[in-house]
Amino acid sequence: MSVRPSQKAGRVRRGAGQERLLAVSLSAIVALMVLVPLVAVVIGAFGDEDGFTVTALSDVLASSRVLGNTLTVGLGTTILATGLGGILAIILVRTDTPWRAGLEQLVLLPLYITPLLTAVAWSWLGSPRGGLINLLAQSGLGLSGPLVNLHSAGGVVTVAALAYAPLPFLLISGALRGMDPALEESARVHGASITAAFRRVTVPLALPALLGSALLVFVQSLGLFSVPAVLGMPASFYVAGTEIYRLLNSYPPRVSQAAGWGLLLLVVTAALVALQAAILKRRSYVTITGKAFRPRIVQVGPWRPVLLGIVVLYVLAAVVLPVATLCWAALVNFITVDPKLMSFDLRHFAYVLFTYPKTLLAARNSLVLGLLTATIICALGLAMAWVIVRSRGAAARFLDQVGMMPLAIPPIVLALGLLWSYVGLHWLPIYGTIGILLLAYVTHYLPFGLRALSSAVRQLHPELEDAARVSGASLLGTLRRIVLPLTRPTLVATWTLLFILSLQEISSSILLYTAPSTVLSVAVFDLWEAGNVNALAALSVMQLFVTFAALAVVARLRQKAVAA
Amino acid sequence: MSPAFVSVEDLVIAYGEVRAVDKVSFGIAAGEQVTLLGPSGCGKTTTLRAVAGLERPRDGRILIDGKPAFDGGAGIDAPPEKRNLSMVFQSYAIWPHMTVFENIAFPFRVRGRPTAELKPTVDKALELVDLARFADRPATMLSGGQQQRVALARAVAFGTKLVLLDEPLSNLDAQLRLQMRDELADLRKRLGFTALYVTHDQEEAFSLSDFVVVMRGGRIEQAGRPQEIYRNPRTRFVAEFLGVRNIVPCALANGGDEVRLEDGTVLRGRDVAPEAPPDAPAIAFRPGDVRLDDQPGAGQGGSGIVTRSLFVGDVQHVFLRSGPVGLCAHVRPRPGLEEGKTLFWRVAPEDCLILRK
Repeated sequence: MSVRPSQKAGRVRRGAGQERLLAVSLSAIVALMVLVPLVAVVIGAFGDEDGFTVTALSDVLASSRVLGNTLTVGLGTTILATGLGGILAIILVRTDTPWRAGLEQLVLLPLYITPLLTAVAWSWLGSPRGGLINLLAQSGLGLSGPLVNLHSAGGVVTVAALAYAPLPFLLISGALRGMDPALEESARVHGASITAAFRRVTVPLALPALLGSALLVFVQSLGLFSVPAVLGMPASFYVAGTEIYRLLNSYPPRVSQAAGWGLLLLVVTAALVALQAAILKRRSYVTITGKAFRPRIVQVGPWRPVLLGIVVLYVLAAVVLPVATLCWAALVNFITVDPKLMSFDLRHFAYVLFTYPKTLLAARNSLVLGLLTATIICALGLAMAWVIVRSRGAAARFLDQVGMMPLAIPPIVLALGLLWSYVGLHWLPIYGTIGILLLAYVTHYLPFGLRALSSAVRQLHPELEDAARVSGASLLGTLRRIVLPLTRPTLVATWTLLFILSLQEISSSILLYTAPSTVLSVAVFDLWEAGNVNALAALSVMQLFVTFAALAVVARLRQKAVAA
Repeated sequence: MSPAFVSVEDLVIAYGEVRAVDKVSFGIAAGEQVTLLGPSGCGKTTTLRAVAGLERPRDGRILIDGKPAFDGGAGIDAPPEKRNLSMVFQSYAIWPHMTVFENIAFPFRVRGRPTAELKPTVDKALELVDLARFADRPATMLSGGQQQRVALARAVAFGTKLVLLDEPLSNLDAQLRLQMRDELADLRKRLGFTALYVTHDQEEAFSLSDFVVVMRGGRIEQAGRPQEIYRNPRTRFVAEFLGVRNIVPCALANGGDEVRLEDGTVLRGRDVAPEAPPDAPAIAFRPGDVRLDDQPGAGQGGSGIVTRSLFVGDVQHVFLRSGPVGLCAHVRPRPGLEEGKTLFWRVAPEDCLILRK
């Protein structure tokens, strides 16, 4: 029997008892997590002490400069990052460019270096006054004005695109690998040239991935905080994310106007996600399966060095140069381009570790948050994924939709909603503690965990669980003895990614932290605002070190798992 | 039949408006094997999974060993782990994170049996399927046939009285399938468990079962002992499914046990359902029961021109046409069966079935 709905969809009909209880309680948790802050933003945008009002919204719509800036950064980053990611994906998946495997790992590294650090490093390199590139150009070439100015719209877009390009790269290279090469080959056999086959078959088939990643980047960059904060604010270039921060940090805080911005961002991203869903609904691509094919490698001949150069240039700009700059700034006595004045020692590390009062507290908070966030999302995500994949009830659909919703909520808006919901809530006093940060992180990163774990559960043949049930195991016994161990590799990888992401989070932390609940990324940002660049560099280098140590541990674990 | 060990009564399983299983009833006597036989989508696996407790029926009753496992009216729906049965899955469902031994020990482990107690039983089960030397292997490092044996051992080791088998042989290649079929029959004879078996393969069904239930579109089309069903398919669907390839439209004559084909040939046959209305009468016979001669001779039959002749090894498939009548014969390969020849076909009355719908 090939067509067997019962088997394909798993155990669909056992809606009884425990399964339903699990589905309903998960739905309640997710609804509280995701929907409460959203409702709070809406209420906040329309209300003040006097009741219903639309002043906040009309104020927002009147600030045409910030609106324009936000749109410029959003569209610019999206086009540049998606184009860059797409080109990198094609080069590394489909051509015979040398060292592809190693380069692919390097291209993904910006995911683990926070955009904040990339922006800080590039600010040192390319600020109009004092930027190292400009200083070097002035002393070397005798220029009078700056060579580059990254404290500008162009700077924000470029650096944001460098930082976000790995996302489209991941999605598009996945789509290229999941494509049956026979589809392109049959176009060739039927008379299409390489380029025609690529244009008429490959590109249309990769279009959903392209659209999907463009949307993902757009949503991220609309609510972008760190990059415009570092590169835009010094030039008074404000976008929605930094504007919300400014409004909340002005005196008195203009909360309702901030909520107006939040609502605007929400409406735009929700509309885009709905649009994407509508576009993708009409075309189904069964050609892109979960199966991995061996992609056909195109011989590019004389172009090999050029393509290699593009990839190397990206890695230099997005990874090597920023990290090298940070390391250099952490070790040098002070920022200068004159080698005669430079001396290197560990005094900035010593200062950050032993003198700067926030480091240890921030590090402890970040660590606790990282551990808790990763663990909670893995537990919650696995249970949700199981319900979503194995049942077809209304609860499963609800969990799927609401669980993925945070992807469309800029984290700064989420933070705004949480502020609105929990400040002054006496029976749940999480404001002022890391509890509210935890809630923000878990909500914001839930879709990442959910997506990874859903595909892991989907790969489990449902009969493996059925076999446990008929062998006498209860539902929970089956989850523990069969589902958990079989999804363990994915769980470990997901846990690590979430841990690293949590260490880097700044867009929501910047609104939610208080003195006792400060975190590493906020401490870095504080040092930035205070102009303490060397200490900042030292702290960042330590943060990067922890991140890469975690990555190395996981790589090691995975190797062991493969060997066993 | 003796009081049934398993009894399925008026079972209805529906997905929204679609009734995957519609009022299916049958019983399994203790120690016997019943096979649900039918093409894809006929509801046979869904029925089996409902007995296991893996699907939730909309209505009907399922009794196992006298106890209600499901009762739509009384609101009873025992979870699978409480039904005290075991199952062999089509995909084998061997847990890849356990050794062979642990896979088989699982039913004991989840019921909290200590290792000392379960070890001899599991070892015996391993010996039974000839896998004793693989006990400590990761289950994934086995061939398809060996995985199949692990699945079998797991299903029988705990000693549940009822074993469900969902197309257990369909993922094996032809030769291994025959071998495993024999082993399966042997195993059941030795252990004496009651079995419910699902397959789309008639040979498997006939050779392994005491009773065969042919299903179509969620309903039972015909049920009976293997020989009885093979000899007397009551409907065109069952006849076709059981490989009766010649189903020739005809007109009933002489009260029903004689028919006239469209080319005028008159044949006699057995009227398998004389009480049914003759909606679309046809005469049915197996290609292997047809004899071909160069000359007209004794016995009933007609003549036709060979339109196609295929050599397939042991037999030659010869297709004849005479006006509107086409038929097929499987005969021993020999010269003189070439396309374009006129041949005389013969088929005995006892090999001919008169179908009324």
